[in-house]
Order: sequence, then structure tokens, then C-alpha cells
Amino acid sequence: MNAAPGAPGRTLRIAAYWILPSLVCLVLYWRGLRAWFRADDFAWLGAGLDVRNFGDLLRILFVPAAQGTIRPWSETGFFMAGYKLFGLTAVPFRVVIFATQFINLALVASIGARITGMRAAGFWAALLWVVNGSLVEPLGWVCTYNQVMCGCFLLLAFHFLLRHIETGRGRYYAYQWITFLLGFGALETNLIYPALAAAYTFLCARKYFRRTLPLFGVSAIYVAAHLAVSPAQKGGVYAMHFDGSILRTLATYWTWSVGPTYVYTPLQLPDWMLPVSIGIVTLGLAAFLAAKLRQGYGVALFCLLWYLAAIAPVLPLPDHMTEYYVFLPVIGLCWLGGWGLAAAWCAGTATRAAAVALAALYGLMGVPEVIAGTKWNYQLTVRARTAVEGVARAHELNPGKAILLDGVDTDLFWNSFPYQPFILVGADQVYLAAGSQQRIAAHPEIGDSVRFVLPMDAAAQALERGELVVYDASGPRLRNITALYAAIPRETKLPERLDASVPLNAYLLGPEWHQIDEDHRWMPQRATLRMGAPKRPGEKLYLGGGTSSELLQKGPVMVSVAVNGMALPPATIRRGEESFELSFPLPDAMVGKGEMNVAVEVSRTFHAAPDPREFSLHFGVFEVR
Amino acid sequence: MTHLLWDRRAAGLWLIAALALAACKRKETIKVQQTDEEGPRMASTVHTGDPKSDTQLVSGFYGIEQNSWRWTAQRFSVVLRPPAGGAQRGATLNLQLTVPDPTIARLKTVAISANVGGTMLPPETYTQPGQYTYTRDIAPNLLGSEAVRIDFQLDKSLPPSSADARELGVIVGSVGLDAK
Repeated sequence: MNAAPGAPGRTLRIAAYWILPSLVCLVLYWRGLRAWFRADDFAWLGAGLDVRNFGDLLRILFVPAAQGTIRPWSETGFFMAGYKLFGLTAVPFRVVIFATQFINLALVASIGARITGMRAAGFWAALLWVVNGSLVEPLGWVCTYNQVMCGCFLLLAFHFLLRHIETGRGRYYAYQWITFLLGFGALETNLIYPALAAAYTFLCARKYFRRTLPLFGVSAIYVAAHLAVSPAQKGGVYAMHFDGSILRTLATYWTWSVGPTYVYTPLQLPDWMLPVSIGIVTLGLAAFLAAKLRQGYGVALFCLLWYLAAIAPVLPLPDHMTEYYVFLPVIGLCWLGGWGLAAAWCAGTATRAAAVALAALYGLMGVPEVIAGTKWNYQLTVRARTAVEGVARAHELNPGKAILLDGVDTDLFWNSFPYQPFILVGADQVYLAAGSQQRIAAHPEIGDSVRFVLPMDAAAQALERGELVVYDASGPRLRNITALYAAIPRETKLPERLDASVPLNAYLLGPEWHQIDEDHRWMPQRATLRMGAPKRPGEKLYLGGGTSSELLQKGPVMVSVAVNGMALPPATIRRGEESFELSFPLPDAMVGKGEMNVAVEVSRTFHAAPDPREFSLHFGVFEVR
Repeated sequence: MTHLLWDRRAAGLWLIAALALAACKRKETIKVQQTDEEGPRMASTVHTGDPKSDTQLVSGFYGIEQNSWRWTAQRFSVVLRPPAGGAQRGATLNLQLTVPDPTIARLKTVAISANVGGTMLPPETYTQPGQYTYTRDIAPNLLGSEAVRIDFQLDKSLPPSSADARELGVIVGSVGLDAK
């Protein structure tokens, strides 16, 4: 890459070739660089809090998560190392993300130039990728770094394959293998690499095709292991559907790939304009693809196959369509588009004008959405930061007191509470004010806002005892409204949902209960509590809790519940049901009683030496519904 | 320079430096954002479009829409501070509400009533869509405390539907107790 003497223009062009896509990336996504954390980020940041020894570290890094994912480089390791070194300072995380993406852009340019034989094609491919709306979250939301890192592994492995083909040197083949194997630590999508390598060699370097086949073995083993750890889900948003929905999902992802995500633009445009624009860009790409295939360029088909291979793993998930799922697939289309632009530039004026018009159309669809998307993401992180760092200050001013947040809306809630961000600033007792759940849109696939609500009665009791402070979270900074909140007369009644592990609910529990043990509370053989009675006939009392396998070793245990002295039909917990939800039909006579006394008794207990206490079940939630 | 970087001794130094950096224990400091600790006073009039009104909108109000108003459910309650001299002269309750077209189209009429400290205030029935003020006098004996809870009730509401999962009553812009 050294410039020839006396050719400063060439040096400049070379510099622009490599730097310009990254610069444009920085200009478009600068808000991503300044953004903070939100949502899942907090769960990952807290992943290392339980690490006490090297064994814990290995377990967290390499034991598959609930969904069967093992992402030690891009998630667990990335967040744990970042949090250990920089705490809740987001900038270092962002620098790593952007640096990785700059490498990706250089690789896209380099590979694009190699496979098409036109340097300009690589440059335009990198630029086309930069203006695609699918980059908003990978560059703005830390927990989607796995996409950026996976892209790096895929592109680098493919780069080494190309170098191997170009030079015939075995070391590049080995580098490809090493990169491919390491890529599994970034994202499961890495398993598509053999298909990419095989497709390219089959179409463009047949001699090397057989050398790519062993790669499939690794992917097959990975898939088998993944399914063994996390069997395919039959229900919920992650349920896989192998039917006509695959084509519909593909069609939708296609519109997000060549047009803006969700076919949304912040510009005031007639409704027909975006679909028509997407259609025009699609036709342009298809025409160029057909022309190149007619000329015998198999690599054009490879570009399309890259797209299809990279999108294939998410096509059976029609209920979990996510904007950044096209982040990696669109690279293939960008190579095709970049090639088209470069080729058209060398053709006649009309072809050149048509290609520029198509690229402009694509850019005009993408850029406004990118700007709006990065702004939206940035503002969400700012709101999360205000809440988390505001709670940190409130906790500092009121040590030992629980914190109640009022005025939490849908965006703030779903980007903070479910992921336990407040533990990261040392505040482990932060609740939603009663009634907040009515203002928070439901997302059952993520969780239930009700479990964070402190019942009004418990809040009133805690305020009287001076154990609670109340802050309004609706503004640009938290506002202490404790006095105002306490002064407001409210209907207080015992809650119909009682979380026994919440310290502020302790006044509703009988004296038999043991102390809180992290996120649950054990009971001896018998324990009592008070809670709200049913409002409607037919409601049941649900007990959500768990026990130790030690209790169930000697056979099932019977759980008896009495309400106001009336015994309800007992339930049984058997081996394998260490985590349970039991339901007990409530007598209609309890309706409208206001409150009820509940007694729970278990047929057997166990001891955990050397602890002299008697244990049976731990809770958990008692709920009437 | 290249030689220096890749010289064995230099590489050893780089390694030691990297390990030392990794071993450095980060000073455990938690960044905090200032909070507004001077608590607000209870207001005699609340504008439902103001996020700060949340605390006084005790129940039955949905989220702010278009930065200016909220839908209510069939029952909704607010807590207001009586105006100065209210305990001697009484006050006027003013509820700025809108009865939307779809409500009248489906329900024909909507009647609103209010309850202050167990005393029912006379209802008002609306038969046409539009903006209204529900105004009632409040007797001094109901305004003796620092905070007065006012419970509103509609005789009918739009039930949850596929278009909107909420039970919808009327649209409220503000509610206040004004001095007489």
C-alpha cells in the first residue's frame, strides 16, 4: 500500500479508500458512540457479580445460557471484562464496538474488491453497508455487539480463505480454521460459515471446494450440541415454524434489507413511496445479478447466497423478527450493489446515471431512518442512565432505605427494571409505585411489570416506618416526592399479590418465616401470612416457590393450605418439581372479605447441617387471581 | 522501532505492563446523577399532560397523549390541595373534559358524577361530543385537610376492544379546586 514517489494523489485515494467508510460510519452513528446502556446490557453487566473464584468464571463464560447460547467473547467475557475495568462507563465498550466495525468495513471493502476484481466495488459495498438501517442497534446497543463481532469472525475467516486460494499457502487455510472455530464464541450464526465457504469455492474456485467440507462437520457438531442443551422451543416467540411463514418472513426481511427497517421513515412521504422505492432497488439488484450470471460470473450468485445463508437461521422465527437480524446478511447484497455501482461507472452515461439514482434512492431511504434510529436509541439510554444514576444518588442520600419510583413509563420500564440495573449501583430494593403497571404496555415475552410493584399498603407502612423514599422518574432528573406521596390519601388494602422475598412485605408474614435468603425466603413446616382476599368468585390462590431436592428424595410431600381456618384441597410436590406453582381454588365465601389469613403446612421437612433450622419450601409469590 | 517492539526484552516488558494493567483493581466508584431533593408541593390544579401530575392522579388515568391530556377509565380519582381559604369559604371543582365522537356514537350519553369525602356531587349528562367543564361547588367542611381526594365516576364507558385494550371513559385535560 506504499504510495509511489511523486504520487500524493494516489496516497490520498488509498487513505480515503480505507478510511472514508469508517468516517461516514462515525458521522452517521456518533450518537451510538455517546450512548449509555439499556435493557439486556444491565443483565450482562451484572453477570460477573456472582463470580467468586476461577470455577465461577469458567462456568459463567462457557456454560450455555438458558437459551443454549455460549458467547464468551461477545457477551459474558466482553461485559465482565468491561465492567471490571470501567464499571458503568460506557465509552470503552463503545470504542471496542466501533473499532470492530471499522475492521469489518475494511474487510468488506477488501473482500468486495477481491471477489469482484474491482477495487471500487469493495469501497462502495462498505459505504452501502454503512447507510443500512440494520447497523443502528449493533452500533448503539452494547448487548448486540455479538453481531458486530460475529461479522468480524465471518469476514476474517472468509478473507483467509480468499488468501489461501490466491496464494495456495497452507497457513491461510489454518488461519481460516482458527478464526472459524473462535467465531463460535461470538454468535451461533457463525455456523453458517461452511456454507459461505463452500458456496464461494463451488462457484468461483472449484478446486478448493472439497477443502471446505470438513468445516460442515464442526457446524453439525455445534448444532447437535446446541439442540441437546437447549431443545427447540414449541411455544413462545422462539418457537420455530417450518411452513409458509418462512417465505413471508424472508419477504419482510428483504424489505428491511434494501429499504429502511420496518419500512419506516421519519420523512413525510406518501404511503406508496417506500414500497415502490424498495421495489425499484430490488429490480435494479435483480437486473444486475441476472446480467452478471449471463456473463458467467458465479460470484454474483455467491453474493445472493451469502444473504440467504446468513438470514436462514432466523427465518423460522416469524414471531421474533428483529431489526438487526439483517445486519450480517446485507453484506452480500452490499457486495452485489457495490459491484453494480462500480461496473456501471465504467459503462455508458445512461447506465451510470441509473446506478447512481438507485444508490441515491437506497441512501435516501436508509440515512433518515439511521439518524432517527440512533437518536431514539440514544435517548432510551439517556433515560435509563438518569434512572440508574439517579437511584445511585438517592441510595447514597438514603442508605438502607428502599426506593419507590413513580412516573415510570413503558420505555423506561422495559429498558431498565427487568434487567436489574439498580443492583449495579448497590441499590437492591427499588420498586415501582402501585398503579404504574397500568401505564406500562405489556410485553409478556419479556416479563411482567407487576412483579416490581410495591403494593400500596406495603408502601404506606414502609413510609410510616421511615424505610422508604419516593422519587418521581418522569422528568430529566429524579425528584424526591416522598412527602407529597405520603400526604396523598389512598385506599390501602392488603395486596392480592405478596412476594415473600421483599423485605417491605415482612409485616404481612407470620413469625415462623426464616430470614430472606437472597431472592427467596424459606419456611419451616408451617408458616402464615396475611393478604388480600379474592374479588371475584372462581379465583384461586397461587403459590410460586421452590424447594431442595433433599426434601423430595424420600418421596412426594403434601402441601396443605388453610384460609381463615378453612382447609383447601391439598396439593402434592413430587421429585423433579423443585420449582413449582401450586394453585388452590378459593371458596366463594371469601369474596369481598378484604383480607384473609393464609396458613401453609408441608408434610415433611429437612435440615441442612450444620444449620439447626428446619426447612421445607421457599417462596416466592402468593397471588390471588 | 519495529525491532524495539518485537525485541524479546521489550516484548517481556509489554507483557508485564499488560498483566499489571489487568491486575489493577478498579477503584469502585459509582457515578451518580444529582436528584431534585426539594420535594414539590401538592397542587390545587393538575394538568394531566404534565408528567409531574402523576403523583396526584391516584387512579384511573392512562398515559399522557400528545403532551396534553389523558384518557380515563370509568372511575378515576385525583388528590388536590384545597385553595387558600377553602376551609372557610369552600371552593369550586373544575374538571376540563372532552367527550369524544366515538363515545357518543356508541354510548349515546355519558353522565359524570363525583364524590368528595363521602359527599356525592350532582351528576352531569352529556349527549353531544365536545369540550366541557364539569363544575361543582364544594362545601367548606369537605376541605379541612391538606389533601382532598375526589373520586369521579362515569355511568358508562367504552369496553376494551381489539383496537384499544383499555376501558375508555372520557378525555381529561385538567382538574382543579379554585378559590371562591
